[in-house]
Amino acid sequence: MKNIFLLARKDFIRKWRNPVVIIGFILIPVTLTFIFGLIFGPSEEKILPRIPVLAADKDQSIFSDFFLGFFKQGELNKLIDLKKVEEKEGRKLMDKGKASALLVIPENFGKNVWEGKTVEILLLKNPSEQFLPQIVEEVCDISTLLLSSVFSVFSDELVLIKSFIDQGNFPDKDVSSLSVRIKNRIEGISQFVFPPVISLKEKTIKEKEEESPFSIYGYILPAIATMFLLFICNAVFEDILREKEMGTLLRMTVSPLKISEFIWSKILTSALIGSLCTLILIGLGIIIFSIHWGNLFLVFFIVLCLNIMIAGFISFLYSFIRTERQAGAVLSSVFIIMSLLGGSMIPVESFPPFILNFSKLTLNYWGIQAFHKAIMNAPLKEVVPILLGMLFAGILFSFIGSYFLNNSLKKGLVK
Amino acid sequence: MLKITHLSKSFDSLKAVDDISFEVNKGEIFGFLGPNGAGKTTTISMIASLLKPDSGKIIIDSLDLDTNLRKIKKIMGVVPQEMAFYEELTAKENLVFWGKLQGVGRKTLEERIKYYLEKTALLGRENEPLKKYSGGMKRRINLIIGLIHQPKILLLDEPTLGIDVQTRLNIYEIIKEASSQGTTILYTTHNLQEAEELCHRIAIIDQGKILAVGTLDELIKIVGEKDIALISGNFSADQGRKILSSFKDASVISLEEGKTILSLEASKKMPLILEQFFKEGLSINDVSIKQPNLESVFLKLTGKELRE
Repeated sequence: MKNIFLLARKDFIRKWRNPVVIIGFILIPVTLTFIFGLIFGPSEEKILPRIPVLAADKDQSIFSDFFLGFFKQGELNKLIDLKKVEEKEGRKLMDKGKASALLVIPENFGKNVWEGKTVEILLLKNPSEQFLPQIVEEVCDISTLLLSSVFSVFSDELVLIKSFIDQGNFPDKDVSSLSVRIKNRIEGISQFVFPPVISLKEKTIKEKEEESPFSIYGYILPAIATMFLLFICNAVFEDILREKEMGTLLRMTVSPLKISEFIWSKILTSALIGSLCTLILIGLGIIIFSIHWGNLFLVFFIVLCLNIMIAGFISFLYSFIRTERQAGAVLSSVFIIMSLLGGSMIPVESFPPFILNFSKLTLNYWGIQAFHKAIMNAPLKEVVPILLGMLFAGILFSFIGSYFLNNSLKKGLVK
Repeated sequence: MLKITHLSKSFDSLKAVDDISFEVNKGEIFGFLGPNGAGKTTTISMIASLLKPDSGKIIIDSLDLDTNLRKIKKIMGVVPQEMAFYEELTAKENLVFWGKLQGVGRKTLEERIKYYLEKTALLGRENEPLKKYSGGMKRRINLIIGLIHQPKILLLDEPTLGIDVQTRLNIYEIIKEASSQGTTILYTTHNLQEAEELCHRIAIIDQGKILAVGTLDELIKIVGEKDIALISGNFSADQGRKILSSFKDASVISLEEGKTILSLEASKKMPLILEQFFKEGLSINDVSIKQPNLESVFLKLTGKELRE
């Protein structure tokens, strides 16, 4: 035991003096969490792009202006970027995908409306877009409905106005009578329209920070961190092969030290440095992302058990590996597959049940589950079995790994 | 102190060590001389318990290696060819680490570290990481690590490889001192001068077999008073044999195409031999004559130069 601590201390000093790799493995998950959080997390204000809409007004009347003017009112103006074009040019631009929709107002649109005839407005939608043309269509529906309603309500008055225009004569008496009729009509409908009987109050639901401790960062960081813990523990453990190359292992083998003590020291160092890095990541999670990790005492045990499991598993993997090149190729693949299946890259909740069975065979899955349960303040009876499982797996892997590594390391010492 | 009896080791069909036996006395510096692939490292590795022999016995300090491994490890030191230490750690940290691993007490360890650092002119730089040291300084630390627990037997594998003369002499001095204090040293090298200067006795090993063991004088007697001549040129083995058969006092050690090694009573005969070669129309590229020394012994015993 004394020798194991002596070796572990030596490895700690070495890593402390050459920390670049480990610092990198700590900073990457923090950076990734920050980026993913920005992309997938909630934000105060969603800035949507304005929808480009083309309008070919072949009528050029007061009515077509009135119709198109609807798109430039209030909130719609923020949503829709309306540009007047010739129909031919509009179609060309649509072919190039430069707009979400093209509105074509036919000739005699105003005249037909004036005369109470049915008119059709053509709406061409960009087939490569899914939602934006739909929004334009909805807006057109509403505006045509509104325009139709105005004409229905004021149909008598409009007919009168048309007769004035047709005759080219505006008698003062008839105009003042028309004004009174319009005023009465507006007053008659105003009690139903102003103020609106039903109004819409807009409110964005904010993160329920007080009700639930869970945040997007609290979801992402443990997942990504678990993946990088594999790499951190490996960065410590791969020294086992380097020491073989350097001749220090050979020198130790000739000393009273047992190879098994050397292997156990690497498992211990790997687990302790992994735990230390996890605690740093947890601290950074609190400082940078305000993650509420739940019961910190429980989290400490999760960190320990997870890193014991990872260190043990890596020792097991190294019993099959002979060179640093093999380690680089094989272990990176194993870690990435485990991370993919275990939920470090994609949430396991989105996996079909068949794949979920494989997820449960990965270290990542159990680590992430434990952290998420701690963050969600899940009852201890849900977390403790995971902790015990990780601890048991870690110890089991360590013993198996130590046994096989003992044999494989002895073999390659003499070059 | 060290007794090897009928030691053999094969790797598949290759017989790396073939039934060798020798003894090394307490405090003796025993040189193990041979070309690459002669079986030196395999023999040392078996003594260091890194390889298990196929047959034979290794007795160290009256203890059988098979049954007393842990006891023997405590009295054994090793200085491998590689710089087997941690470059991120300082010289002192390295020496403390290796000393503690060998079970040396704190106080004794401090005294020894100071002593050896002073001896190797490294005192004052003990707190610098070894990665800042020069090659020669690293070699000295590599040697001190092997000596820090004052082993009864020390295995040295080419400890002066690639270093300057000053460091080499410093290392010789330390090795000689350890030997005078009773440490038995098994010294592997293929530097003949080094073996001549440092070793009390030398074993010449080639193709897994020990060809000769003895002091330098004893080994030179194998060659006798004769010089060793080496002739290289464009001739076949048969042509060489035909010419040399007419010289009764020149015995052929080895003869192959383009190269022959002879043992001559006196090098005066050499012009006559060369004249004969020229008469036969054979060209000679190189001729060298060696006075009786370890190199000529090696040539005579192995039929090849050590650098091969």
